[in-house]
Amino acid sequence: MKILVVAERRDGGLRRVSLELAAKAKALGEATILEIAGDRYSPLPFVSALAKKVEAEKPDLVMLGATLNGRDLGARLAARLGRAYAADVTALAVSGNTLEVGRPMYAGKVRAKVRVQMPAVITVRPGAIPLAESAASPDVVKLEADTSAEKLEFVKFAPVASSGKRVSLAEARVIVSGGRGLKGPENWHLVEDLADALGGAVGASRAVTDAGWRPNEEQVGQTGKTVTPDLYVALGISGAIQHLAGMTSSKVIVAVNKDPDADIFKVADYGVVADVFEFVPAFTEAVRKARSS
Amino acid sequence: MKILIPLKQVPDSTVRVSVAADGKSIKTEGVTWSISPYDEYAIEMALERKDADASTVVAVVTVGPARSRDALRQALAMGCDEASLVVAEETAAPLAVARALAKVVEEAKPDLVLCGKQASDDDQGFIGPALAEVLGWAHVATITKIVPADGAAELWREVEGGHEVWKAKLPALATVHKSEKEPRYPSLPGIMKAKKKEIPERAFASLNVDSSAPALEIVAMEPPPARGAGKILKDGDAKQTAQQLATLLRDEAKVL
Ligand SMILES: Cc1cc2nc3c(=O)[nH]c(=O)nc-3n(C[C@H](O)[C@H](O)[C@H](O)COP(=O)(O)OP(=O)(O)OC[C@H]3O[C@@H](n4cnc5c(N)ncnc54)[C@H](O)[C@@H]3O)c2cc1C
Ligand SMILES: Nc1ncnc2c1ncn2[C@@H]1O[C@H](COP(=O)(O)O)[C@@H](O)[C@H]1O
Repeated sequence: MKILVVAERRDGGLRRVSLELAAKAKALGEATILEIAGDRYSPLPFVSALAKKVEAEKPDLVMLGATLNGRDLGARLAARLGRAYAADVTALAVSGNTLEVGRPMYAGKVRAKVRVQMPAVITVRPGAIPLAESAASPDVVKLEADTSAEKLEFVKFAPVASSGKRVSLAEARVIVSGGRGLKGPENWHLVEDLADALGGAVGASRAVTDAGWRPNEEQVGQTGKTVTPDLYVALGISGAIQHLAGMTSSKVIVAVNKDPDADIFKVADYGVVADVFEFVPAFTEAVRKARSS
Repeated sequence: MKILIPLKQVPDSTVRVSVAADGKSIKTEGVTWSISPYDEYAIEMALERKDADASTVVAVVTVGPARSRDALRQALAMGCDEASLVVAEETAAPLAVARALAKVVEEAKPDLVLCGKQASDDDQGFIGPALAEVLGWAHVATITKIVPADGAAELWREVEGGHEVWKAKLPALATVHKSEKEPRYPSLPGIMKAKKKEIPERAFASLNVDSSAPALEIVAMEPPPARGAGKILKDGDAKQTAQQLATLLRDEAKVL
């Protein structure tokens, strides 16, 4: 079987999800790892270049990371080529000419097993495929974006102030999220300090992003990001069904809430009934100690 | 400016979705249906344009079963001007749905088409980019803001660390991540007006689109694994409890 992986870069290095896909593709068959070179992602130049490559090489399967851009590119590519498309795949198995994928549906409230006709295009969720620490960086073929296909004009990049050097939410192995229980953006140092102590990313509930305390990109849940870290820490989050939809597949869930009846405790492996303002600084300190000993 | 929003009716976000007896679909009895959340954001975004410029026309369309009419009515009650229904089986192949929507777009001739970033039933995020592809239009994904600019629009796209601003000549398509304001509730006069509006309907087959397209076959569905009852720590002094939790995370859960 022939597989084409479309890799993405972040801060110079290949994204972790690209490494995950490369390893999986090599296990499945004859793999080519491709990177599209362009100033920044734009659908038409990327799709045009990639579609030509796919038509020439005829891979049975094109795999992309289910990232912001990967999902957009994958969808348009599948439409252009008339190939089957499955997004945000969390498991995949090939037997003969059949591809069977697992993917969340209904905003993560059910998991579906889906038979996908090949040749196909799929996007795979970051973290879904375990990656051996020893996995070597793959050889990457460069493909130039077809700028002649561009119909858009890039105007500018408007940065948001808060995004530091932290890991991206989708790929983070540890996430600390804050909810309305934090009372205001001025208290976010509690969330950030704990995230730093744990080496993780910062997330938020929708109540928080709607209030403008934190940027949208940090929202976890049905209309935010779906995340599956090894450790998810929810601080002052009630556990509304739409929030749970985005994080219940995390490996270990810790919740801190002063209300013992909060719904978040129904999914927590470790629940702490406490005031975040008292508990979190003490916990951050304890984590620092535990990690350094 | 005319804005067309293809929307989908899905189980309301508060519905506890459960798997039906066939093991490969969801129970629909007793389900409350709503406009898919990102489509609601798209509607809000379009209505904000209409608030700013009253000459803006906002139309909605859906391809789906007869019950989807309620979602269209809801959109009209929020303040949309026109709605139409293409009656189709829910099993229509996604690419065929995109082709049907392209027919509707070609007839309606909107300046801007806004899709949701993904529908919260199949969670695919396919139809938006696919519709742009069928139309041969440019598209910008996951936008949070539109700024009209003489025959064009500046589309703000949320990415890691900020916004990319892209200028698209109209007509163009965008998928919507979020509106600046929360989607509005229908007003009472809005609801009254919506009741009187006609929602023209036609059959999917009457659009004569090529319905040959690769299908996805759902072979099984299951709820996500139930999470066992966790350990609850309470009543302790903050420092002690913190110490206890850190130790558990390190030695028991092995995540530190
Ligand atoms: C269509 C739709 C989509 C949605 N999508 C999302 C989504 O993607 N993500 C999302 O998160 N929500 C989403 N929501 C919103 C969701 O329904 C909830 O409103 C939201 O998650 C609540 O956020 P919260 O838990 O921070 O706030 P609240 O529900 O207000 O909870 C605050 C919690 O903090 C606790 N608390 C207060 N003070 C303290 C303290 N000092 N110490 C400890 N605990 C304290 C309280 O006990 C309470 O449990 C969506 C809603 C809809 C309708
Ligand atoms: N049957 C449909 N009728 C109209 N619009 C649709 C339909 N399905 C999807 N859409 C639009 O396409 C977006 C993405 O849907 P999906 O590809 O199903 O995730 C939705 O948010 C809607 O804007």
